[in-house]
Amino acid sequence: MKTFEYLRPTSLKEALDILKNHDGNVSILNGGTDLIVRMREGHSSPEVVMDIKKIPGLDQIQVDEDRITIGATVLLNDLGLNEVIKTRYPYLAQAALSVGSKQVRNRATCIGNICNASPLADTATPLLALNADVHIYGEEGIKTVPLKDFFVFVRKTVLKPNEIVTGISFKQDPEALGIFTKMSRRKEVDLSTVCSTVMRTGTEYRISCGAVAPTPVRLFKTEAFLSGKTLTGEVIEEACKLAEGEVVPISDIRASEAYRREMVGVMLRRALSEWL
Amino acid sequence: MKTMIEFTLNGEVVECLVDNQRTLLKMIREDFDLTGAKEGCGAGECGACTIIVDGKALNACLVLAVEADGTEITTIEGLVVDGELDPLQVSFIDNAALQCGYCTPGMIMTAKAMLEENPHPTENEIREGISGNLCRCTGYKKIIEAIQVVADQNKA
Repeated sequence: MKTFEYLRPTSLKEALDILKNHDGNVSILNGGTDLIVRMREGHSSPEVVMDIKKIPGLDQIQVDEDRITIGATVLLNDLGLNEVIKTRYPYLAQAALSVGSKQVRNRATCIGNICNASPLADTATPLLALNADVHIYGEEGIKTVPLKDFFVFVRKTVLKPNEIVTGISFKQDPEALGIFTKMSRRKEVDLSTVCSTVMRTGTEYRISCGAVAPTPVRLFKTEAFLSGKTLTGEVIEEACKLAEGEVVPISDIRASEAYRREMVGVMLRRALSEWL
Repeated sequence: MKTMIEFTLNGEVVECLVDNQRTLLKMIREDFDLTGAKEGCGAGECGACTIIVDGKALNACLVLAVEADGTEITTIEGLVVDGELDPLQVSFIDNAALQCGYCTPGMIMTAKAMLEENPHPTENEIREGISGNLCRCTGYKKIIEAIQVVADQNKA
């Protein structure tokens, strides 16, 4: 691992100044479970590593009447074991607890999982289905970007070098029912071969998938097809076919393109069948 | 580049001038000569480097040494109090829950943190609890039994 300057700001303002003063050569250190591996393997060699864990106020899950906000440094275990999340948004809790091992989740954060922008980020699909917003702090203060617009490509987001994500929030929807599915070779401590969240709110459906495109994606065409329809076996079959055609997976070490495509149909069929 | 840090290691306040790129695991093993925690995969999959930081089990290979500043750290070496082994260590010995021993310190530290959080785990909870620790001798059955014995003692 190459050496670097280690800085530990205690306010967002200070963090922003560090980002500005080092002109894009800063890696933000949150849980570090991904960054440290990348630095060791030489994929990342920042001049400055900025540890944001001492910035106060970022480690809270804030539950307001109409919104829930997950702070940037909230651990995956704290999210997955949070009573409100477990009760009202169990699919988000399951996704959080499906990442890595207990030890990894004691360090890794939900926001880090999102900012890494891996195509198979497990917490991305429930948050996409919840229409979550990403809160970004920069020179003009806080701005909000819908999560679906946050991801750009594999490991690429719209985040600029002088910006920092302070948290992710979503509108409370107590009516929403969601089903998170993760398909992996091993039950625990594995990466998703494919993953998805299927959500039903009223007669609307939201479907998001991971590891089937360069970024986690929503299947808007399939959603539009399902919108307002009464679920029947035929409707479900048609939706599954649409969904399989809407994703653009690749073949890699974990699965073939064809397998992933088929599993998108399987995951959707199983989820929708719960609401027949 | 180096940073001066201060933290509590197995009950003792210590100071160390560490290289910024040093991992916590390397510091513990090489600067403090506590070689219980092992490096296996170096990527958070095998759990051989598990230690307890501020009450939570962590992979020491995925933490920078500088991040230890201000924390309280317990390694397998810190489980011995006044020459007495921890009940988990005793149980691993009594139940022959080790073969080559490489995973043992990590297994015991994971089990230690798990029992602090949940003193009466079911067998399934134990299995889930140690799923971040690999034993390449595949001696899981004895390991689970050894942890179960201590969990049952907690019940008594």
